[in-house]
Formats: sequence, structure tokens, C-alpha cells
Amino acid sequence: MKTGLKGLDPRSKLVLVLCLSTLGVFIQDIGILTAVLCASIVLSAASGSRLFVLIKKFRRILWLFVAIAVIQSVFAPSGRALVNLGGIKLITAGGLYKGVAMVLRMSIVMVSATIMATSNSREIVQGLVQWKVPYEIAFMVSVAIRFLPLLTDEIKNVVTAVQLRGIELDRIPARQRLKVYSYLIMPVVSGAVIKSRELATTMETRAFRAYPKRTSYMVLTMNRNDYAVITTSLVISILTLYITH
Amino acid sequence: MTMPLEVSDLWYRYPGSGEDVLRGVNLKAERGEVLAIVGLSGSGKSTLCYCLSGIVPHIYSGDMRGEVLINGTPTLSMKIPEIATRLGIVFQEPDTQLFSPTVEDEVAFGPENLCLSREEIGERLELALKQVGMEDFRLSSPNRLSGGQKQLIALASVLGLDPEILIFDEAMSQIDMQGKAAIKEAIKGLKDRGKTVVMIEHDFENLDVVDRVLLLRDGVLQPFEGKL
Repeated sequence: MKTGLKGLDPRSKLVLVLCLSTLGVFIQDIGILTAVLCASIVLSAASGSRLFVLIKKFRRILWLFVAIAVIQSVFAPSGRALVNLGGIKLITAGGLYKGVAMVLRMSIVMVSATIMATSNSREIVQGLVQWKVPYEIAFMVSVAIRFLPLLTDEIKNVVTAVQLRGIELDRIPARQRLKVYSYLIMPVVSGAVIKSRELATTMETRAFRAYPKRTSYMVLTMNRNDYAVITTSLVISILTLYITH
Repeated sequence: MTMPLEVSDLWYRYPGSGEDVLRGVNLKAERGEVLAIVGLSGSGKSTLCYCLSGIVPHIYSGDMRGEVLINGTPTLSMKIPEIATRLGIVFQEPDTQLFSPTVEDEVAFGPENLCLSREEIGERLELALKQVGMEDFRLSSPNRLSGGQKQLIALASVLGLDPEILIFDEAMSQIDMQGKAAIKEAIKGLKDRGKTVVMIEHDFENLDVVDRVLLLRDGVLQPFEGKL
């Protein structure tokens, strides 16, 4: 049996994630943003998410975070110039502050989202349905998540097929590479359309939308822990926003 | 006597095509019969499947003439969900038939759509998994199963709707020997329970469980005489 944060109802996790993300979006102060990020990391780890595996997986795009911080700093200059290039203020203290804040914000949203990944898509759909979200919409979201890996496989297969025909994508110039990628769009899109049509047909043959309502075999029930997490998250978030604004 | 599945003078042409894919197909399948339809690629086997299961004309349009009757009722006058309670179909590709995070959710999907009570869904779930011998995988993710096991779960998902007729559209084409053996065992069980099974096949090795074989050649259904 799952205990603590691991055993939470997906609706409680959703409230927790929404509170953390809201704080990330509205807070301006770097110190508080750092505290929110730390809290997100601790909560994510406590919920049993595979946070560190994900960080490892996404380490290739970590440079993008640094680039965003620099770009933000260049295009929103304010305060003392830290780096000058030919009389142009390239990096300023205010710009850098905003850039770092932006990176922290993105990190909070991404880390807190991993908490949701500890519930399976059926549980999330059921949570949303019990919150009166129409089943079709909730189900659509879950199917989209389910088919993302299939789409990735489709892209990999098409890229491999191109490479097997003797095109070494790593060795050709960027402009040519882009051209090759543009050729890949059509088979990937058509493959995705065929798969979605097959999926829709399967669902129809299993009586999807046979009646305006449907029964749920799974029923979620919230316990004391869930109410405690929801109340605490909401109170802390509202207080933080009230104090910082 | 009303047959579970009856096709009379069925013609079908895809939209924009100048040629009929099915040309005057007549077919009768009895209760408890396992019928195989064989034919070369492009002979119209899958199209016939779509017509039998009501996918044509309810989902895929086209020019359909003639009738497909399920227990004497034309599919044209029934809606797809209504057909789904009488006729189930297992497709070729396992991956696009499974969309739930666990086997339990997958099999429960159909009965949930029929608004059955939770108790009845539970009973059907247990029975369907038992029929395909996958009870131990109830909480597993379908993504982690082998091709054969995935097809068995797809079959269990159809059995959850308790249809009288089952269609297998080359359902064994992508699975290994072990998976094929499991599916064939499930088909024998269905026959024993009086279900009507129509298998669309191109592999003669899979015909050892069938009672009758018909050949579909250029859209015309005829008795099979051992050659495609």
C-alpha cells in the first residue's frame, strides 16, 4: 500500500502542482523562487517520481536554459552593465536577474509536473471526471499522452529509413539536413493520422459514447491526507502570494 | 432459422475508386462455427471485415450495396455501439488496439461504455481475462506485454462486451508461435461456448482450428480448394 505523498489521490497532486506552478509564475523574487523550486524537488522526490532519471534524460537541453537566461538578459537590459560589447550593454545585472528568474520559473513548472507523472493516466482521467470534467476531454488528454511514445517511434523509424538509404544526417550541412527533415514530415504525419484513425475505430467498436454517460469501474476516494495536502497547499500559496504582492 | 451472421449480395466500392472491392459476397455463419476467409493481399479481406463489423458504412464511407445481417438485423439500421454488443473485432495491429495504462482498465473500457454496474463490470473483467488465460496480468501495463499477450488482451477487451460473434482480422499475423497457440486455444474455447468466429487469414498454418474455409478472390467469395 502506498503511503504519504505516494498514496495521494491524483486530484490532490493536481492541486499541489497547480499551486507550485502558480507560485512559480507570479513570484518575482529570486530567493522565493529558489525556495519554491527546492520545495518542488523535495515534494517530487517524496511522491516517488523519477525526477533524477528525467533530469538525466533532459540534460541535453539544459544548455537551452542557459541560453534563455542570456537571451532574456540581452533583450531586457536594466541596471548595471556586467558585459559590454562595443558600447552595447550585452549583459546587465537587471537582465541577468530576470533571466535567472525565468529559468527558475521553467524549472518549477517542469519539476512540479513530474509529481503528476506518479499517477497513471487512467487515475488522472478518473480524477478529472470526478471533478465533472467531461470524460471525452479527459480521455483525449490521456490518449495523447499514451500515443506520444508511438509518435516518437514513428519519427525514429522514418529517420532510420532515411539513413539506411545512405544519407548520413550527422555529416551533411545544416541547410541540407533541414531539407531532409522537411521530407520526413509527410510520412510521420500520415503515419500518425493512420494510427489515430485505427485507434478511433477500435474505440468505436468497443461502444465508445454508446450512451451520454458511462460507468467507471475505478472510483477514487480522498482520505484525510488528501484534504490536508489540498488545504496546506492552498493556504501556503495564497499567503505567499499575498505577502509577496 | 436466423443465422448469427448473414451477408447477402454485398458489393462495396471505396470513395473515389472506379472498381468494386467486394462483388456480390454471400455468406452465412452458424452458431458455434469457426469460419476462415483466406485470400491474397488486396483481395478485399479487410474490407469484408469492416463491412461485417459495421465499420463500413458507419465509420468509413463508400458505396455499399447488399446487406449484412447480425441475428437478422441489418447493420445499416444499427448504430456502432449496438453492433459492438453483438459483434466484436480484433484487428491486426496490437498497439493501436490498446490505449489504457493497465490491462484492467483496457478490458473494463467496453463494459464501462455500456453503463453496466461496477459489480457486473468486475465479473466480466474476471471472466474475459480467464477466457484468454491472462488473469495474472490484470494490473500490468499493456505496453510491457509481448505481441501475443497484447493480442490476447485486445481479445479480452472485446470479450468484455460479451458479443455472440467475433471477427479476427489477421490477428495472428504479427505474433510469435507461442502467441498464436494461445489465440488458437482461446478460439477453441469460444467455439465451445457457442460463439461464432470469423477468421480472416493468409497463413494456412492458422487454419487448424477452423470448421470451414472460404476463399476471397478479386472480391468474390468462393469455396476454398487448397489454392489461393
